[in-house]
Amino acid sequence: MRMKSFLTRIFYCLIALVLLSGTTVMAQQAKEKITIRGKVIDKTDRTPIYGGSVVERDQDMRYVTGVATDLNGNFAIKISNPKNIISFSYIGYKTVILPVNGQANFNIELEPLSNQLGEVVISANTKTNNGTGLNIDARSSTIATSTLKAEDVQDLGASSIDQALAGRLSGVDVGTTSGDPGAGMSIRIRGTASLNGSSNPLIVVDGMPYETQIPSDFNFGTADEQGYAQLLNIAPTDIMDITVLKDAASTALWGSRAANGVLIINTKRGSIGKPAITYNVKFSGAKQPNSIPMLTGDQYSTLIPEMVMNRDGLPLDITTNKEFAYDPNDPLNYYNYSRNSDWIDAITKLGYSQDHNISMQGGGEKARYYASVGYFNQTGTTVGTGLNRITAKINLDYNVSSRIRFRTDITYTHVVTDFNYNKTIRGVAYNKMPNMSIYQYDEYGNLTPNYFSPAQNIQGQYDATFNPLAMALVGVNHQLGERITPHFQLQYTFIPSVLTATFDVQYDINNSKTQTFLPQLATGRPTTETSVNRATDADGDGLNIQTKTNFIYQPKLKEGHSFQALLSIQSSDSRSISHNVATANTASDVLQDPSNPSRTQNSDLTLSSGASQYRSVGALISAQYGYLDRYLINVGIRGDGNSRFGPNNRYGFFPSASGRWRISGEPFMKKFKFLDELSLRASYGHSGNVPGSNYSFYNTYQPGIWGVYPSNMELTNLRWETLIGKNLGFNLGILKNRVKIDAEIYQNTTKDMFYNNLQISSFTGFTGVSMNVGTMDNDGFEININTIPIKTKNWTIGFDFNISKNINTLRSISEFYPKTNGTKITSNGVYQTFLQIGNPFGSYYGFRFKGVYKDADATIARDASGTEIIGPNGQKVQMRFNYPATNYLFQPGDAMYEDVNHDGNIDYKDIVYLGNGIPKLTGGFGPSVTYKNNLKLSAFFSYRWGYQLINGTKMNTTNMYNFNNQSTAVLGRWRNPGDITNMPRALYNSGYNWLGSDRYVEDASFIRLRSVTLRYNFTPKFLEKFKFKAASFYVTTENLFTWTKYTGQDPDVSSGGDNNPLSYNVDNSMTPPGKSVLFGLTVGF
Amino acid sequence: MIQKIKYLILLSFAVMLTTSCNKWLELKPQDGIIRQDFWKTKEDVNAAVLGCYASLFNTTSSLFIWGEIRGDMLGTTLKTTSEQLDIINGNILSSNSITKWNPIYQTINYCNTVIDFAPLALTTDQTFKQADLNAALAQVRALRAYMYFELLRTFGEVPLKLKSTSSDADLVQLAKNTKKEVYDQIVADLTFAEANAPTTYGDRIGDKGKMTRYAINSLQADVYLWGEDYANTITACNKVIASNQFGLISGKNPDGSVNTQWFNTVFYNGNSNESIFEFQYSSSVLNPFYNMFISSSKQFAGSAIVMDQVYTVDLLDDQNKDIRGDLSSIKAGDLTIWKFAGADNVKNLRTSTTSYAHWFVYRYSDILLMKAEALAWTQKGQDALDLVNVIRTRANALPGTLMNPDPTSAVDVTDYIMAERQREFAFEGKRWFDILRNAKRNNYAHLDYLLSIETDIAPSDKQTFIINKYKDVRSHYLPINIYEIQTDKNLIQNPFYQ
Repeated sequence: MRMKSFLTRIFYCLIALVLLSGTTVMAQQAKEKITIRGKVIDKTDRTPIYGGSVVERDQDMRYVTGVATDLNGNFAIKISNPKNIISFSYIGYKTVILPVNGQANFNIELEPLSNQLGEVVISANTKTNNGTGLNIDARSSTIATSTLKAEDVQDLGASSIDQALAGRLSGVDVGTTSGDPGAGMSIRIRGTASLNGSSNPLIVVDGMPYETQIPSDFNFGTADEQGYAQLLNIAPTDIMDITVLKDAASTALWGSRAANGVLIINTKRGSIGKPAITYNVKFSGAKQPNSIPMLTGDQYSTLIPEMVMNRDGLPLDITTNKEFAYDPNDPLNYYNYSRNSDWIDAITKLGYSQDHNISMQGGGEKARYYASVGYFNQTGTTVGTGLNRITAKINLDYNVSSRIRFRTDITYTHVVTDFNYNKTIRGVAYNKMPNMSIYQYDEYGNLTPNYFSPAQNIQGQYDATFNPLAMALVGVNHQLGERITPHFQLQYTFIPSVLTATFDVQYDINNSKTQTFLPQLATGRPTTETSVNRATDADGDGLNIQTKTNFIYQPKLKEGHSFQALLSIQSSDSRSISHNVATANTASDVLQDPSNPSRTQNSDLTLSSGASQYRSVGALISAQYGYLDRYLINVGIRGDGNSRFGPNNRYGFFPSASGRWRISGEPFMKKFKFLDELSLRASYGHSGNVPGSNYSFYNTYQPGIWGVYPSNMELTNLRWETLIGKNLGFNLGILKNRVKIDAEIYQNTTKDMFYNNLQISSFTGFTGVSMNVGTMDNDGFEININTIPIKTKNWTIGFDFNISKNINTLRSISEFYPKTNGTKITSNGVYQTFLQIGNPFGSYYGFRFKGVYKDADATIARDASGTEIIGPNGQKVQMRFNYPATNYLFQPGDAMYEDVNHDGNIDYKDIVYLGNGIPKLTGGFGPSVTYKNNLKLSAFFSYRWGYQLINGTKMNTTNMYNFNNQSTAVLGRWRNPGDITNMPRALYNSGYNWLGSDRYVEDASFIRLRSVTLRYNFTPKFLEKFKFKAASFYVTTENLFTWTKYTGQDPDVSSGGDNNPLSYNVDNSMTPPGKSVLFGLTVGF
Repeated sequence: MIQKIKYLILLSFAVMLTTSCNKWLELKPQDGIIRQDFWKTKEDVNAAVLGCYASLFNTTSSLFIWGEIRGDMLGTTLKTTSEQLDIINGNILSSNSITKWNPIYQTINYCNTVIDFAPLALTTDQTFKQADLNAALAQVRALRAYMYFELLRTFGEVPLKLKSTSSDADLVQLAKNTKKEVYDQIVADLTFAEANAPTTYGDRIGDKGKMTRYAINSLQADVYLWGEDYANTITACNKVIASNQFGLISGKNPDGSVNTQWFNTVFYNGNSNESIFEFQYSSSVLNPFYNMFISSSKQFAGSAIVMDQVYTVDLLDDQNKDIRGDLSSIKAGDLTIWKFAGADNVKNLRTSTTSYAHWFVYRYSDILLMKAEALAWTQKGQDALDLVNVIRTRANALPGTLMNPDPTSAVDVTDYIMAERQREFAFEGKRWFDILRNAKRNNYAHLDYLLSIETDIAPSDKQTFIINKYKDVRSHYLPINIYEIQTDKNLIQNPFYQ
């Protein structure tokens, strides 16, 4: 029997059961009818209420019949059962419920609701939600979580939740991939538990997993994951709270996919009351900070001939490289290559964004609603980038009776993103020769409006280089996303407050389209090439169906005992199809669609399509028992089946257990009056991870141009990657919870780690294989401190602080795994890393830079005592590089490296430890000051401490190795014997002047003032005057200042992508992170 | 007790999951073919054999670089990569990506896959007979032999992988086999292939682009010549000659005028009457040469000696040209490698979309010159010189390149043959192997031949360094790429690079 049909059958059975029981009840009671009359009035001014509802309900609060009151507030209703109850309600008034008890006349006074402003129903105890369905008081939670409320992030200019999360929660690391609108983010919870494959956490929205990943076999032409930022496009204003599940006991409940942590997002829902309308608006402006100073055209054209000359003494051939000829007799080149262009300035502008959101919420006894519509528009700081998004959401709750409830949530997102055709545009602009003109000059020296896009010049041709402005303005990369997520839930209570069941089904329809066009204007290449007027169109359609069936059992136990148990059965079925077209050479720059006549002939241009499917099922049993509110224990086990595994390894089981001891509840602690809460928590759990690609357990064949050939090998040995987590936590609350400290210490061990492209000998015909390769540990601690040091009538000052540390260590690894990062330390620009079992990641090695050989005498090799080394024939020996393999003799002006072993030869024996790129501590802190509940000033700082970063920008802008533009630092380069400087000579494509050395390694510890917000809530007096329920105004600035010794542009480099134990962090940013100012206004009616 | 009940519930769930959901979780790719559904018909086998041929397209740039970069025919440009320069300057390191053998072994794996699974189709397809199977196996074993022959000549000792990698259970750590073992395997594959391969596939592209019996004979001749087995070389050559399927395209029309279509026929169009085996590039599959030879950022040009010393110029009559020289192999003006770059014998270059010159593996002239070389070493020097003259006459070789070696001196005759081969097969990936074969013959009796060539081309400041390296004959084989050494514990680096 198929699992899905099994579930649907259960579903139908239950519906039938419910309907059946309902009808029988009605059938029995349809006999005797009594008429009841009465009047409904307002309690305060005693006026009649017109249109109030009078409803007969049965014992389960199910609606039986109802009438409305007339102009005078009078009503008459025929009720079917005198044992039933009767309710009187009107919008804006408290509902009155009375038993009928044979009474025939009711005169009712309804009391107006005193406070209708509350957006969220405030319950006595906040519940934590691990998303599965169990409702546990936050104070009884046995697991490690942290929660962020909507208020905490609403002031930020974030266009999506992941941006808002950055730095707010301990143990959660959010990294940007780029500052352009629509760029995606990477979220890491407690470090990365997997070597590669998916490292993003599972996101659960309103109890259902939310797909945030593009299937790996989705081919979107030129698009990549960056383009799929709309995957997490829930408008931030729709969010009620975000909870991060961190320890394995909590994530184990989500089984597969939960190894990277779980993010639980709950959206706002309706509440009883008059319709409350809230309007949020934000405007922001962003500026790209000034870049590091680069050479002008004049300085550049002095450098390049010198650099080429230094290679082998032959001058730059200006007859073929007319860019440097400066020959007035060749006016075209003379005018076009004698400029001082600022390419960066040309492609940079101010960025703006506006974000509008209107929501309405309200409801009555039976139905509640929350609906919102949002519009977000952003233009980026790079010319040609922008984002437009429309979101709509409606959350409906309908109570049929106290036993049956329906929920319907529908979310719709429409995103249009404009990216640059080529994502390297900013990099190319930095490297672009500044003596080249942006717009073309004609042969008389007149500036024309045409972009100057030569087919090639000394810097090369497309795609190594191009005219960045032309590419930004006329290249097209247009992405369109449509996502609709309807979610239906039926809740049925078998035994009131004892046994409840919920049935969920969620459809997720996610369609994307990417259109790109590369015009000849931008590349300048001849029209025969495929990089000219190249048009692509890619469609991807995804459909995901998820079901969840929960049974929650909560028996009534004796005083002091509490018990809750959950059985949950879940299934997921994802299908995706994609179509891609890439053609070239449409007849004109304006024919931008591949449907225009164009070429598709060789392998560079494609018509392709793909289809893929992925299924999983899971069953979970979880239970929590509490005794005397002091001893709490939670156990769970989850079984998962997944279509990505072969029959041998298809199922995984993930147990978990956790407990909490509330020491402060013990009688012997009663004397410590100041203590509100002191608990110890401990947890243990397993969670799993599945491989990234479908069908990998088949040996597949792929059709090629001519025939068919094997495309991948059968992976019979692929097993679940399992994370085993242990967590010890403690919660402390003192002085009426004005000081709260949560601390966690954890050890996560990932067993059978996946490695996607494990290197194997290429004589197998393959170069990589996916395998379970070893064991890795993520150990660390997290401390969260929330304090309110001052709280008076007018003033509240709060201070929050979090700190965390995570260490990645490999415990064992396949012998196939490379033992070094494979770089040749004797090549420029790279550092060596080694695989060290048992040592934390992130250390790198290289040479020590000692300056520049100032003259020929300085290049003579010297031994440890400083005396010159004499060769066998009595000659003086020059310092050599990598003898005998390379045997380069150092020349005056070359970079000087420390000859650690004093053998006159700089080689791998001279490399030393240079640093470690993993921070010792990271975290954030933020003070906030509130005056009279009206004015609130808050700031947020983030920091990283104790790590060394490689300043890649410095390396690339001072290496003088190729025709890329360089920074003005190279003006101090060595030029003549005797020059004393730290900047080596320019040397085209040869020499060893920029080997991986401590010249580029810097301490990158920093504290960054990430945001400052000033918020003003309008006084009730003012609100009354304008009939507002609430109104506030705020200003936020982001990235105001960074305190650091680091001389590069951005010390906050997080390692995106694979978690490679052999990689090291490099900062290649050319500008500091963008600064922005945001104005926002919230009005409630 | 509660625990027990839980386990029971769990167990029943496990049973339910495994039985009822297993089917639901069993998904097959919708847009690919899995092995279990393949190998059912002769069409499947045929498609897989064609896949092996198609994979040859990925090997071409390796074949070119391995065969030419250490020879004396290539010149550098500003865009020659540092790795290419390293090899030219004798700075050969195992980290150099030029030493990667991946595409070669990929083709070998495709061939092994056919060898392992094609027999399955015999049971499911009644129209697929043993002879059809043998013909398929003959082709893939010939291709495998060809690939191992390239590896043998480039690396010396390599691991012999004779089973396909179809599953992660098939992954092995092989050690290197000796040169003898590799050579014997090549000979064995070719012997089987020769016995079972068809002589024709019924169309011209098939006959020139697939392993016919004659292509296999040509490969045999080459292999035996490398193995200094001259009798078998002559036998193999004679089989091709006796087939009467091939002939030389003359550089002269019957009336004595220059055949202006010679370049077009032999190189631009390819598949000429003198062609035996060529990689069939076409407008849908482009060769890798556009970026290497044609575009403005080309990596290679011909060396300065090609016109001056290899073809020479007739100073009295500039119309009197070796037909293989200017605007055939090379463009004298800017040293462009015209054989793959030229769109005609006038001045036009191929463009990025028309860069589909074939890769010429064997032409009939090769058969004649291989036979000549074998004859020279079996005391038939005059017969050898006669064959060389056939080649020279048809190509209008210039008197400047004429040598009159003593027919009884095998060494002198061979040096002459080598010079002719250099003219005939310029840039066809044969020069270095010719030099090496000639130098290593009879236990490196003629090492000075290789050294003198390398002395001529070495940059002046690196001459001593390079010659000293090449004096150690172990340096004539490339190192095994560091990647392979790291991924296979049993693989030992070639001795010179340890």
